[in-house]
Amino acid sequence: MDKKMCNINKNFDSEPGESTELEEAELNNRIFSVESDDELPVLAQNDQENPVIWLNDEDLDLETVNINSFFHRVDSDQIIYQTKKKRLKMIGKYVMGDLLGEGSYGKVKEMLDSETLCRHAVKILKKHKLRRIPNGEQNVQREIKLLRTLRHKNVIKLVDVFYNEEKQKMYLIMEFCVGSLQGMLESTPTKKFPLFQAHGYFLQLIDGLEYLHSKGIIHKDIKPGNLLLTLEGNLKISDLGVAEALDLFAADDTCYTSQGSPAFQPPEIANGLEAFSGFKVDIWSSGVTLYNITTGKYPFEGDNVYRLFENIGKGDFTVPEDIDCTLQNLINGMLRKDPGDRFSIKQIRQHDWCIRKPSKCGQAVPIPPLRGDEFHSITVLPYLMEHYYECQGSDDGEYEYYTERQLNEERRKSERPHHQLYEKSAHNNGRAHVSSQSTKRRWPKPISCISVNKFPGCKQS
Amino acid sequence: MVTYQPDNSYYKKLSILGECCNGLAIVYLAKHVPSQKLVALKKFNMDKAKHANLIQQEVILTRQLQHSNILPYFVSYVIDQEVCVISPLMEFGSCRDLLNTHFIEGLPESAIAIIIKDVLEGLDYIHKKGFIHRALRASHILISQTGHVCLSGLRYSCPIIYNGKWQKQIHSFPESTMENLNWLGPEVLEQNLQGYNEKSDIYSIGVVLCELANGTEPFAGMPITLMLIEKVRGAAPQLLDSATIPIEENDEINGYTLNQANRRFSEGLHQIAALCLQREPSHRPSASQLLTHSYMKVHRRGLSLPHLLKPAIPLSDKVAYNPDEVADLETIQRLNDLEISSYEWNF
Repeated sequence: MDKKMCNINKNFDSEPGESTELEEAELNNRIFSVESDDELPVLAQNDQENPVIWLNDEDLDLETVNINSFFHRVDSDQIIYQTKKKRLKMIGKYVMGDLLGEGSYGKVKEMLDSETLCRHAVKILKKHKLRRIPNGEQNVQREIKLLRTLRHKNVIKLVDVFYNEEKQKMYLIMEFCVGSLQGMLESTPTKKFPLFQAHGYFLQLIDGLEYLHSKGIIHKDIKPGNLLLTLEGNLKISDLGVAEALDLFAADDTCYTSQGSPAFQPPEIANGLEAFSGFKVDIWSSGVTLYNITTGKYPFEGDNVYRLFENIGKGDFTVPEDIDCTLQNLINGMLRKDPGDRFSIKQIRQHDWCIRKPSKCGQAVPIPPLRGDEFHSITVLPYLMEHYYECQGSDDGEYEYYTERQLNEERRKSERPHHQLYEKSAHNNGRAHVSSQSTKRRWPKPISCISVNKFPGCKQS
Repeated sequence: MVTYQPDNSYYKKLSILGECCNGLAIVYLAKHVPSQKLVALKKFNMDKAKHANLIQQEVILTRQLQHSNILPYFVSYVIDQEVCVISPLMEFGSCRDLLNTHFIEGLPESAIAIIIKDVLEGLDYIHKKGFIHRALRASHILISQTGHVCLSGLRYSCPIIYNGKWQKQIHSFPESTMENLNWLGPEVLEQNLQGYNEKSDIYSIGVVLCELANGTEPFAGMPITLMLIEKVRGAAPQLLDSATIPIEENDEINGYTLNQANRRFSEGLHQIAALCLQREPSHRPSASQLLTHSYMKVHRRGLSLPHLLKPAIPLSDKVAYNPDEVADLETIQRLNDLEISSYEWNF
C-alpha cells in the first residue's frame, strides 16, 4: 500500500537508508580536486594513474576512448568528507542533540535538560514550513493549547515551549520517546506484533483515548505512527495537531471536519458526511490500528485516495482467517460501518479479548536501533564532550577529514555491534589529520559522494 | 512502649533542626509531651510541594519497611496544609551535618567502616523488599546518640516489582531527583534502553564512601553536564589520601589540604570503594556480598561510634532548646505565606 496514504509519520521511525536530510545536515562533503593537494598532501597519491583526457566533440568515438577517461574515475580514497563539529547548542536550559525523526512540519531532535539531566524530545517547527501545510499554524497553536491541559500516563506530555522570532522557529519540548509503533512494525518482516504485545499496547491506547474523550478531545489521527513508546515501554498518544476540543457546552460530540490519515478514516468521513460523531472516529481509527498491528495489513486499501475512500465507504472488509474469533469479534465491533452500532470505549474495555490477556508466546518486537545504536543512548553526549574536552584546543582542526574508503571500511566494521562509542580519548590531538585508525568514531553514512541538495519540488509535504 | 498520637497538641516544638527537600519541609526538635521524649517532627508544606505523591510514597513506604537501620516513622498526620511526620530523634544528625560542622576533610576511617556497614544492612533489606533507594547520600544517613545508624530519604525510591514481576531493568528517571544527581550511577543517568537495577545503589554507596572520607562528594561543584559525561566515560571517583592525591613537582597539592594529602586510608576501604564504583553494574557486588567482605568484619571491635565522632556532641534538650527561634520562624513563614496580590477575576 502506498505509504502516503497511511500518512506514515517519519517521526522516530529509524530507517537507516532513508533519512536523507540528516546526513545533509551532518556532513558537508567535498571533492577535492588535484590542485587541492597543498591543503591535504595525503590525497594526491595515485592521480598519475588516471590523467584527465580532454575530448573534442568531433573526435568522439566511444569505441576508442577508454570509458574511464571519459567519466573521470575518482578513487574512493580521493573523496573527502568533512565532519561538521558537534557544536553545543542550547535552547534555554536544554542542550540540543541529534535528529530523532522528521515530519512535514520540521524536525524532531533530542534534548537534554542541563539541570535535571532528563532526556526530552523537541519538535522544531519552522514558520515557513508550517505555512505550506493547510491550517499548519493553527494546528500547532491548538496542539500546544490542548497538550498544556492534559496529564495522563498514555498521552504525550508537553514540557516546555520556546519561540525564536529571529529564526522563525518554534520549539515544543516533549517527553522523550524511543520509537513509534509504526517504526517497530516496519522493522519486522511480518509487519505485526505477537498478540500479547499488541494486547498491551491496545489497552494503553484505550486508556489514553478514554482520558482524551473524557476531556472532550477527539484525536482524529490515531494510527501506529502517532503511538510512541517511552523507555519504560509506556505507550503515549502523540501528535494532537489535528485534534479537536469539543466546546464545554456542546450537546454531543458532533464534528464537522477531519484531517486525519486517509487509511484510518471511517466510512462517514470517506462518504463525505457533513456531521459525524467525533468519538466514533477515534474508535474506528483505533480499530484500524488494532487490525494493522495484529495482522500486518490494512482492512481497506486502494490505489489512490479515491479508491481507498470508495472501499472504506462501502465498509466491507475481511479479517484474516488465522485471527482468533474473539479478536475478530472486537475488530468487527470497532469497524462497524454505522457509527451508532460501533463499539463504545466501555464496550471495548469489557470485551473478552481485552479482559483476557493472551499468553506470552513468541518474541516481542524490540524497538529498532537508532542509527545503529540498539540502546538509544543519549545523543547529546558527543556535543557535551566536544564542548568540555575539545574546546581548549587550538582553533585550527575545526574539522575532521576522512575519505570514502575509510567510510566504507567503517561501514563494514559497524555491521558488528559496537559498545565503546564513548571511549574517545579526551586528548585527541590528531583531529586535523586523515587518521586511518580512528575507529572509535561513528561515521555518519553519506548518501552519495557528491553533495546533492534536495530537489525542492519532490518533497513529500 | 510509648504511643505517639497523630495530633499536633501532643508535640511541643523546641527548635529547628534544619530544612530538607529544598525548603519543602522543616525538621523540628520536638518533645512528646506525655512521655517527655524528644522526637524529630518533620513538617512538609504541601502548598509548596510540586511532587506531592513523592511525600505520600515516602510515608507509605517508610511505614511498610521494618528494619533497625531504616529510620522509622512513628506516626504521621495532616494539619492545615501541612503533613507532619514524627520520627525518633537522631541526635548526631545526618552524616552531612557532621561533615559540615566537625569533619570538613572527612570522617575518620573507623567511623566510616561502622557507618557503611549499617547502611549496607539497611540497603540489603530494602533491595530484598524489592525497592531501589536511588538517593543514598550522606544527608540521608542519620546517627543516633548511641551510634545507631539509620537510612532515610525513601522519597526517591522506586519499586523493582512491577505488574507482579521482578523487573530485570528499571527505566524511570524522576525529574525530581535533581539534588541526587552526583550520587547516581552512570547507567541511571544514561536513560537508555539498557536501564538499571539495584546495583545502581551500590555505585551510590561508593560515592557515599568518597563523600564520607573526603568531606565532599565527588563531582561537587562541577557543571552537572560535565559530571554526566565524566561518569559515562567511566571516570571513577576516588578516596583522597596520599595514595591518590597527585603530588606536583614543587610539592604542591592543588586544592587539597595537607591533612588529606598525608593521610592513608586502608587498602580494604580503597578496595570496597573501587568495587562499588565500577562502570559496569553487573561487576559491582550486591549489598549482601559487600557485607561478607573481610573489611566489614575487621573494624567491629574498638571504639564506639559516638566516641569516634568527637568533638561532635549529640543533641539534647539542654543544647538545643530555643523556643524564640521557633516562634521567629513561624512568624516569618506566616508572613511569607500571605498572598499580597489581590484576586483576579477572569471571565
